[in-house]
Amino acid sequence: MKMIGIIFSNIYDAALGDLTKHRTLASLPFGGRYRLIDFVLSNMANSNIENVGIITKTNYQSLMDHLGSCAEWDMNRKNGKVAILPPFGIGQSNVYQGKLEALEGALPFIRRSKGNYVLLSDSNNLCNIDYENALESHIKSGKKITVIANRQEPAYDYEIQDVVLCEKDGCLTDIALNHTYSKENLLGMGMYIVNKQYLVEIVEECVSHGLFRFEQDFLQRYFINEKIEVNVYEFKRTVLRNRDILSYFQNHCRLLEDDVARNDIFDPQNPIYTKVRDEVPTYYSQQAHVDTCLIADGCRIRGEVDNSIIFRDVTIEEGAIVKHCIIMQGTVVEKNANLAYAIVDKDATITANRTLIGAPVNPIIVQKGEKV
Amino acid sequence: MLERKKECIAMLLAGGQGSRLKVLTSDIAKPAVPFGGKYRIIDFPLSNCVNSGIDTVGILTQYQPLVLNSYIGNGQPWGLNRNYGGVHVLPPYMQSDKSEWYKGTANAIYQNIHYIDMYNPEYVLILSGDHIYKMDYSKMLAYHKEKNADCTIAVIDVPKEETYRFGIINTNPDNSIYEFEEKPKNAKSTNASMGIYIFNWKVLRKFLTEDEQDPNSSNDFGKNILPNLLKDQQRLFAYNFSGYWKDVGTLESLWEANMDLINPTVPFELKDQDFKIYSRNYAKPPSFVSANAKIEHSMVAEGCTIKGNIENSIIFTGCTIEEGAIVKDSVIMPNTIIRAGAIVEYAIIGEDAEICKNAKVGKSPSDCPINTWGISVVGTRKTIDPEQVIAPKEIV
Repeated sequence: MKMIGIIFSNIYDAALGDLTKHRTLASLPFGGRYRLIDFVLSNMANSNIENVGIITKTNYQSLMDHLGSCAEWDMNRKNGKVAILPPFGIGQSNVYQGKLEALEGALPFIRRSKGNYVLLSDSNNLCNIDYENALESHIKSGKKITVIANRQEPAYDYEIQDVVLCEKDGCLTDIALNHTYSKENLLGMGMYIVNKQYLVEIVEECVSHGLFRFEQDFLQRYFINEKIEVNVYEFKRTVLRNRDILSYFQNHCRLLEDDVARNDIFDPQNPIYTKVRDEVPTYYSQQAHVDTCLIADGCRIRGEVDNSIIFRDVTIEEGAIVKHCIIMQGTVVEKNANLAYAIVDKDATITANRTLIGAPVNPIIVQKGEKV
Repeated sequence: MLERKKECIAMLLAGGQGSRLKVLTSDIAKPAVPFGGKYRIIDFPLSNCVNSGIDTVGILTQYQPLVLNSYIGNGQPWGLNRNYGGVHVLPPYMQSDKSEWYKGTANAIYQNIHYIDMYNPEYVLILSGDHIYKMDYSKMLAYHKEKNADCTIAVIDVPKEETYRFGIINTNPDNSIYEFEEKPKNAKSTNASMGIYIFNWKVLRKFLTEDEQDPNSSNDFGKNILPNLLKDQQRLFAYNFSGYWKDVGTLESLWEANMDLINPTVPFELKDQDFKIYSRNYAKPPSFVSANAKIEHSMVAEGCTIKGNIENSIIFTGCTIEEGAIVKDSVIMPNTIIRAGAIVEYAIIGEDAEICKNAKVGKSPSDCPINTWGISVVGTRKTIDPEQVIAPKEIV
């Protein structure tokens, strides 16, 4: 019954532009005190997955620093561990071109780890899911692969999703990639359960034929050619997909406005773990004015903060106004500065009296350590 | 066997009941009482040890140790999960010839002589688990060595009119101690003992063993061991500490010490990158503050949902303050719920409590006749019914 977890930490780096310049997508801060990887890794920890391999490609220093010994996830155990799997170069082999090639590098880890099933997951789609239920569905179906998917309304017309599944009478009929969708469709969440032996076979087969992309070259092609049957497990709670900067920004807004989404993600029964920083509780001064915010520890709030996510150790000085913003760890917003629709990366400084106003569909980004 | 040794290890006396904290310690030991939004009292001496380079701490427990034991765990939150050393919880135990509870502070250490011998230390630091302060013990240890002392006692200057509450220590000009006065009416000095001692282990070991032979002894550091050392002309020195130090042994002082954290005139800063106070972390999300909430001059820890009004208060991890609830000048301990319309003023609300709709707990001193006012206290896991009124000074 055991599952082995594999997390891809780098897949969509380019789409998040400046925010992933100095870090992997997996170590992108999210939700006031987390990084994206915390969600999938906590889900795995809460689903009793003992062995997790994290596949990395580039810029993984911040990720390694964040994970440390994985004690926070209770994954520093004798009978299990978290292994960071950077590219393993032999001769002239290059960095990975796709998930299948990355998996080839992880085969020794997968073979060595106990368990008959492998759970593959991206790190950009956030949810609070019990993978044991998905595994139960996988085993019951008797199929070799399960796609974990959910239904949702498109945010706007012609919105595209990575993996769109079409069904007829409960049977999967088509898999479309980077396609428009409606609320009738199931959308792949970038999470798959595959029988371990089968995964090893197809990885070897595909890579030896120069096929590197998991979704295109394996899932879609094999399905259309009727080489595999695919089981779909429908997940019914909130999923937050971070495909680009805008969706990353809007997902934060949703955490603030949508009580259901917030309670789904921050389920007290299945907590999301993260690196402990031993910050003090947040102080709110006499002048503080806070309206619809998520505020982490270690902050000093002396100004006005509206509809914003404030990470750990942020200072908002007197007279500063922060509206519809994501302010990351260690940033200082000085006196009378005025910020709206901005994503301010770690350790930045917004100097006194400065005004920075972005737009709801195009938030301004202030880079890590920048002084504006 | 004794090849490896530690220079200095700490023994933390955490067995006291803390009966003056009443309902707050009805089922937990005093050092486990929550403090300052996300801490427990014991985090302060433990973090002080870690920040002073002491990596071996024995915690002596006796009264209601469950919460304390599970809180300490393997010491990982404080970095005290060490291969050699680390933190150990030391309850009284059964022995082949006799078994007994810890009879007094000195007896608690005496019963754990073997534990200390295991590390064969040069010095032993004795601490208590009921004060809030930040102190670098390594400076005190350097002083102890510099004075070539057998015992060094940390002292703090207290106001003359409060000397009757403390053990007062009288010293010669070179800071060597010539006299102890226990809670004196007319103290000769204002140097109060902080209950922090460094001993040369060889000397302490000898005096503990002798004290154990004395049937009339109450086996207490302050009453027996220290006076005996003085009588025997050992080298005792006072080490002057200046800085914030507060006993949190009573409900009033516990409330005050919490309020000191948000009082700008009190020089005690928890936020310090170079001297962090560590605590066990419960993986809570950031606090959610809703549209109608109002938070003024307060501290709020993580995992809270704030929809009501908060003023001059300390809100601990995981609390919920519903719409229209008012919390003023109060200390709300972890995972407590204050329901809509409830009013809490000048109160301490224990862990996991629930204050139901429109209940009223406590009152401001300005609304009370003189001498009738006091802090109201609601105990751990208590529920205050809707519309119920808890008067000032009342403890439930």
